Order: sequence, then C-alpha cells, then structure tokens
Amino acid sequence: MMEKLYLIARIADTRVALRSRAINSVVTVGTPVEVPAAPPHVAGLFALRSRVFTLIDPHVVIGLPAVPVAPGQRVIVVEVAEHGYALLADEIEDVCFIEAAETRIAGKLLPGWARVADAMIEHDGASLLVVDPSNFITLPALKAA
Amino acid sequence: MVQPRFLGRTGTAMDDLLNDFLAETAEILAEAGGAIVAWEADPADRAQLDAIFRLVHTIKGSSGFLALPRVTALSHAAEDALDQVRRGNRTANAALVTGVLGILDRLNELCAVLGQGGAEPAGDDRDVIGALSGQGASGDASFEVAGVPLRRDDDFGAELQSWRSIRVPLPLLDSVMTGVTDIVLARNEFARMLRESGADLSLIASFDRLSDSIAGMRQSVSQMRMQRIDKLFAPLPRIVRDLAQDLGKKIAFQTSGGEVELDREMMENIRDPLIHIVRNAIDHGIEPLEDRVAAGKDITATITVSARQSGNQIEIEVRDDGRGLSPDTLVAKAIASRLVTATEARGLGPKERLDLIFRPGFSTAARITSISGRGVGMDIVKANVEKIGGVVELRNEEGRGLTILLRVPMTLTIISGLMVRAAGQYFAIPRGAVREILLESGDTVRIDQLGGGELATVRGEQFPLLRLEHVLGRECDAADDSDDRALVIVRPGQGQSYALSVAAIHDHEELVIKPAAPMIMATGLYAGTTLPDNGRPVLLLDVQGLLAAAAIDASEAGRSHNRTAEAEAEATAARNVAQLLLFRDTNTRLRGVRLSVIERVEEVPVSAFFESAGRVQARIGDDIFAVHAATLPDGDGTLKLLRLHDGHAVLCYPIAEVIDIVRLPDAVQPSAAPGLIAGVALVGGDPVELIDPFWLMEQYAAGAAGPALRQPVCRLADDPDGWGDNFLAPILRNAGYRVISGNEASDEAPDVLLCVDDGEGCAHAGDAVPVIRLRASVAAAGPEDETVYRYDRQALLDAMRRSVGGEGA
Repeated sequence: MMEKLYLIARIADTRVALRSRAINSVVTVGTPVEVPAAPPHVAGLFALRSRVFTLIDPHVVIGLPAVPVAPGQRVIVVEVAEHGYALLADEIEDVCFIEAAETRIAGKLLPGWARVADAMIEHDGASLLVVDPSNFITLPALKAA
Repeated sequence: MVQPRFLGRTGTAMDDLLNDFLAETAEILAEAGGAIVAWEADPADRAQLDAIFRLVHTIKGSSGFLALPRVTALSHAAEDALDQVRRGNRTANAALVTGVLGILDRLNELCAVLGQGGAEPAGDDRDVIGALSGQGASGDASFEVAGVPLRRDDDFGAELQSWRSIRVPLPLLDSVMTGVTDIVLARNEFARMLRESGADLSLIASFDRLSDSIAGMRQSVSQMRMQRIDKLFAPLPRIVRDLAQDLGKKIAFQTSGGEVELDREMMENIRDPLIHIVRNAIDHGIEPLEDRVAAGKDITATITVSARQSGNQIEIEVRDDGRGLSPDTLVAKAIASRLVTATEARGLGPKERLDLIFRPGFSTAARITSISGRGVGMDIVKANVEKIGGVVELRNEEGRGLTILLRVPMTLTIISGLMVRAAGQYFAIPRGAVREILLESGDTVRIDQLGGGELATVRGEQFPLLRLEHVLGRECDAADDSDDRALVIVRPGQGQSYALSVAAIHDHEELVIKPAAPMIMATGLYAGTTLPDNGRPVLLLDVQGLLAAAAIDASEAGRSHNRTAEAEAEATAARNVAQLLLFRDTNTRLRGVRLSVIERVEEVPVSAFFESAGRVQARIGDDIFAVHAATLPDGDGTLKLLRLHDGHAVLCYPIAEVIDIVRLPDAVQPSAAPGLIAGVALVGGDPVELIDPFWLMEQYAAGAAGPALRQPVCRLADDPDGWGDNFLAPILRNAGYRVISGNEASDEAPDVLLCVDDGEGCAHAGDAVPVIRLRASVAAAGPEDETVYRYDRQALLDAMRRSVGGEGA
C-alpha cells in the first residue's frame, strides 16, 4: 500500500505528487544556518531533534532563482543515503492514497523538471508530476557552476 | 557497520525472545571461542573448563525453550563432551578442542540464518557432532548421560551473576541518547527564556536543580554506551590459534587492559582493523619456526594486544616479536609494484619508508596468501582508524618485532573545538590544530600586504594569512568591529602552519561531530557539522581543506623564524590548552591539578585500602597503586581517588569531591619551597592551591616502580651474634622487605646486602648488589664514612630505599 501513498505539495511553483517512501515528516523551520561555498541548492542547515538537516531549495534544482527561507516555512524532511535533508515547500496540500497508476510523462517539460520527474499521475481531476524526493538532492554538474 | 549481526527482526513477543537469544548467543560464542583456546593451552585449568561448560549450557537451555532442535542438539553434544572431561572420563586433547570449536562454528552459522529468516533451517549436524564424540567413543558408550546432567553448585553461582545486568537493544540505547540530547537543547532554550522573562529566584533555583539532574543524566547515558574493550579482544585468541595452526607457527597470545572502556560505536569501527593487524602479524610478522631458531629466538612467538586509557584517548597496542619491517624490502616492493619510482624512493627518510605499507595497493601487489593480503591492506586500516579521528603509529625494530599502535578517541567524534565568528556566523576549528590565538591588533603581530597576498609576522615568525571570509567567499560582516579581529595560528599537519584571520573568537566547547551531507563535504572546506548547546548547527572547518581552497603553500620549510620565539609561542599555546581540575581535598581545601596528568577519577571502597611497606596502598581491580595519604582512611563507604599518571607510574590522590574543570589561570603565585603545593592561583575569585604533580610523583617514584609490588630481598651478612635477625629483621619486614639471614642458604640474588658488623671485608659483597654497612658507634668515623648507625632507623630505611629504588627504577 505504501507505494500508493503520495504527499501532494507545491514545490518550485509546481504541484507535484511526492512518493512518500522516503519522507519522514513535515515540519516548520526557523532561520537556517548558511553554508558558505556550498552548492547553490543548499539553503542552509537546521537542527531538528538533535539532528542536523540540510535544507534544499528545489527552485534551484529546477533551474529557477533561489527563494529566501521565511521563518516558519514548512519543509519536507526526507532521508537519503543515511543523511537527513529537508525540501523547502511552497505549500503542503495533503497526504493521500492515489489508486491510479503512474503513467509515462507525455509532453515536453522544462529541462529541470524533466530531470527530476519520474512519471505522471491522475489525481482529483488534475495531472501531477510524480517525483521521488531524492531526485532533488543531487544537482546536475553543469548547473552547479 | 553498526548494525548488530543477528538483530534482524522485531515485532512479536516471540521475535523479541529470539532476538534476545541471538544477541546473547553471539556474545557467548565469541567468549567461548577465546576461553576454549585458553583452556587448550592449559587443560588443567578447571575454572576455565567450568566457564566453557556453563556457556554451552546456557545456549542449550535457552534454545530448548525456543524450540530450536538443531541448536539444542549441537550444544548438548558439546556440553556432554565437556562434562565427560569435567568428570574425568575423558582427557582434553587437540581433537576434542577442534571438535568443540567445530560445533561453535556451526552454531554461529545457524544463528546467522536464524537472524535473517527467523526459523531454524533444516540440515544435518551429524558430521560435527560425530567428529566430537568419535574420538572418545570407547569411553563414552559406557557412560551415557540421560537428559539434562545434574547441575553443580558452581553453575548456579554463574547464573546469579548474569542477573546483575540486563540486555538492552542498541536502537533503544541510541534513542535514549537522542532523547537526552533533545532534553538538553530544550533546557537551554528554556533557560534563555527564563532569564529574559526576569523570573523570580525561587523559580530559577528549582530550574537549576532540574538542570543539574539533566546534566547528570546525560553523563550516565554516555556511560551506558561504554563497553569494556574485552569484547573486542574476545574473538582474537581463536583467530590466532586457527591461523597459527594453519601456518604451522607456535604463538603465545596475550591480551591486557581489557577493563578499559570504549564507546560501542567506536568499538565497531576498530574491530576489523584490529583483526587485520593481528592476522598480518601472524602471517607476515612471525617468522617460520626454522627462521626463529636460526635467529636465536624462542620458537614460540609472542603477540600481545594491550589497551590503555590516556586522557580521553584509548591506545591499543599490537606487539609481536617477529621479524619486524625491513625498510629496504619495503622500498624494493614499492618500486616493484610501481607505487614509487626509484628516484622518489631514494629521497625517502626512514619513517617515510616504513609508511609505504600504508600506500593503497601496497599489500595486495605483493605475495598473496590465503590469510592476509586479500585486498584489504594497511591503507584500509589506516583510513578506517582516521575516519574516527584516530591515528596509526608504527614502532619497528627490524629483526626483533613490530608494534602497531592505534590511538583513538574514547567516545566517537567528540572533539574539543574552538568557536570563531566570521561573516556573521559561527564556525568551529578543531582545538588540536590550533597553536596560538592572538589579537590582530596586538603588539606582537604585524600584517603586511604583499602583491595581493597577506603575510602575518608573529614575534619574528612569518605565516601566510588567510581571511576566513575570503576563503568561504563571503563579505566581512559590517557589524563586526575590525579591532576585535583575531588570528588563529593553525597547524593542520606536521611542518605546516598558517594564520587564519577571523572576526572574533567565541569560546571553546566539547563538540559532537557528525558528518555533513555529501554535497557539503564535497566543498572540501568542512569536516562535519555539530550542534552546540544553543541548538544552532555549526560547521566544523577542515583546516587542511581551507589551505587547499586558498591554494597556499603553508610549508614551514624555508620560512624565517627564530627558535626562541617559537619556544615561547609553544609555551603560550601549551598554557592556552592547559586545563585545571578543581577539587575539594580531604582537608576541605580548594585545590587544583592539571587535567592532563589525571588518568581517571575512581571511586574505591574504603575496604580496598591497606597499608604496606610503610605507605597506604589501594587495590583497584587487579592492580595495586600507591595512595598519597598519611594514614589509612577509616569508616566505611567509598573514597574518591584521582589517578595521576606520569607515563610510567600511577599514584592515587584521595579527594573529597570534584568541583569543576577550568582553564589554568595565567597568573600563579608560586610557593616559596618545593612541596605538594606548587602555588596559588585565583579561579573565579577564590584562591586555589595548585598541586605540583612533579613533587608528588617524585615522592612515590621509587615505590611505584614495580606495580606488581615484588618485595625487595634483603640479605643480612656478617651477623655473628644474631642482632640482625633479632632486632633488625622485624623492622625491615615491616617496611616491606623480605629478609634472608646470613646463615640461611638461598640461591636468590638479594636486592640489597646489609653488613651488620662493620668489619671492613663484607664477605658477601657481590658486584651488582648494593651494600649498606652498619656501624655500632653513634658517631661517624669521618666525612667519608658511608656506614649507617645501627639504631638510626630512618637513616637505615632511607639508605635501603635508595639502594633498592636505584636498582628497580
């Protein structure tokens, strides 16, 4: 059943369905600690229950300009390769089971989205991009420059 | 890596039972392997045999309860065989030991499968059981034991012991640890809010009580994670035995220091390196029998693994008496495997030649044996140890043996860090790499602009200057006062140093370091992240990485510097890092002693103290230590002891309580005369007497020379009328000497010879034995007269102590 569970959120100005497998929780953050000289999608560090998490700005991963972190902003906490990350979300909508099957992406996406999106899914009369949260963690080499 | 081997499943009560059983069995099997090997070496050791019997019996008991027929049958067979030996119906021999080890191996395999699948696999164990019983079949047949053998009293004793501890799953322990850390963070936040709200004093006082108990709890939780290093040593005897047998070598294996405690996570990280080093020693270090004979060595080689605590580090030493490393052979091997060119090799110093064994690909490129050299080289060992903040050292005596020293922090990645500020945020610098801290505007500092670069000159010594903001690609924070800027002289490695300019120095803290996310580590500027008490994450700077990022050559070679300045700087740096342990002495005075001379603080029951050789001693574990006390402590209960350690000897100093650890003040008012108190300093406004460890150790140096406390032997000579026997001997015995009278025939070489009659020719005077002559007259014959008046007890005992101490030290 877990495979059918999705977190619907607006990330980098786009509504997406995130596969919930890797998602730990959704929390709010205060002001993060900056990491000088880190890749641009690293928005900073913050502590949650005595662990340090790395804050990722999905805008940058998609190829958009970075957005400042507002205090109290909600983030999606994920675990990738034994490290804790948090994705900045514009808005968290819902966690729900989606019975529909994931389908191949039809149509052309922006290059940034094409890289992170795995599939599409039909939900509540709208098509959503299906994204694995771990896809946001790594940045393509050319973008980092 | 941290994952325990058998803890696969959780869930139902049955699974919990099974998990407990698997964890316990894994532990027992490791312990039994070592015990059996020790027993094989000395089959007469009844205690060892009983111990093994009990271990196997425990497995049998629990497996019967869980309905694991194969495990039960196997453990029953082993228990049965061991019981036959206990009853004297069967003798212990190599075949029996191999048979029992075979059963333990099979049990291990079964448990591994159980841990994954949760069910006992089908299979046939008749081969290993047969191998065990086959040897003594004739004797066994007539002596069938029906059902569970009768238990003996001593078996019950052992089971009662195990009730004193309980088994806790590691994840639970970790979650307690995290929980406590969270409580601490919440406490700090709360404390801040209390202060800001201007709460009344009674509220703050009760909060402080809560705060103290939280601190105590945090301490206990970190102790819960500590385990005796015995656990790490347990599988080694078995490994040594099997390997030595395969290779046809004779090896005596010893471990010591098993009571030293280490964080369990740390333990996991050094397990593989340690096993690898021991294997290497057996395979490559120890020569074949004939070579040992040719070299005039004992054919039985010795490998010792010992652990000791030194400050907040643990040293693990693996020493063998094999052939050692030959630098020339190493170089030849390295050239042959193209790790270095012949030209490079010529430029290598002796130490660098030895360090070749740490080059990747070194061991695998050479001879590949079935034992070691299977692609895991010393490079991996070194990398693993360094990963946890440790170091590997080699002490080579070519032809006589090799000692490998692993030095690791006691708890995982807790380091002392200096907090600095730059570009409006905090960063941590590992304290160990900091040599000196100066104000940029100070008199001793000169900063020059040189062709776009900057150079700091401190007391005549030049350092390349890095500004932290520039290296990190940030602007200086306008809010920071440029007068506050500080220079941190950093020494990232041997022969390198530079000056790092930061906006301000904050303080230093003990920091728990965790690795940062890969993309942050990839910048090369950071060594990890840490969470100080204020709850805001801080990045730990990689002092070597900063250099690389700034592309600066920080090598000290060829730089102008003057020796005295450096010595002075070194002294300043030493003073900077010196910490003082504040304590209340037994006479209620506030005293302090340098933290670095303290090995540990021990709480010892008063009953462990005794008086011997005219001084108070304490028994701690299996060792006896001298205690700085004039009289035996009375009453019952316990006494706190500071264990001072000077690298050779240990002296215990009784105290009432530990108060705090503070920085050693710069201003110390020295005492007029040398003595227990080196001087007085002010700490937080209170005068603190500083203990002089040098003086203290000096008082006990002679007595502490032999921790085993062998009684020195004193032979009385020229004692025709028996005065020595009747009058002198009791005093000497009281003072801890063993006395042999002149008439007694003894081959034992005395440590000191006492000539009772001051006749000139003391017939027994040996070459190496110090002689003390006694005279009957009070007055000395002249200034050259070294004899001692025979009723001057103190002078006599002093003379004895001098002679024996000189001999033993």
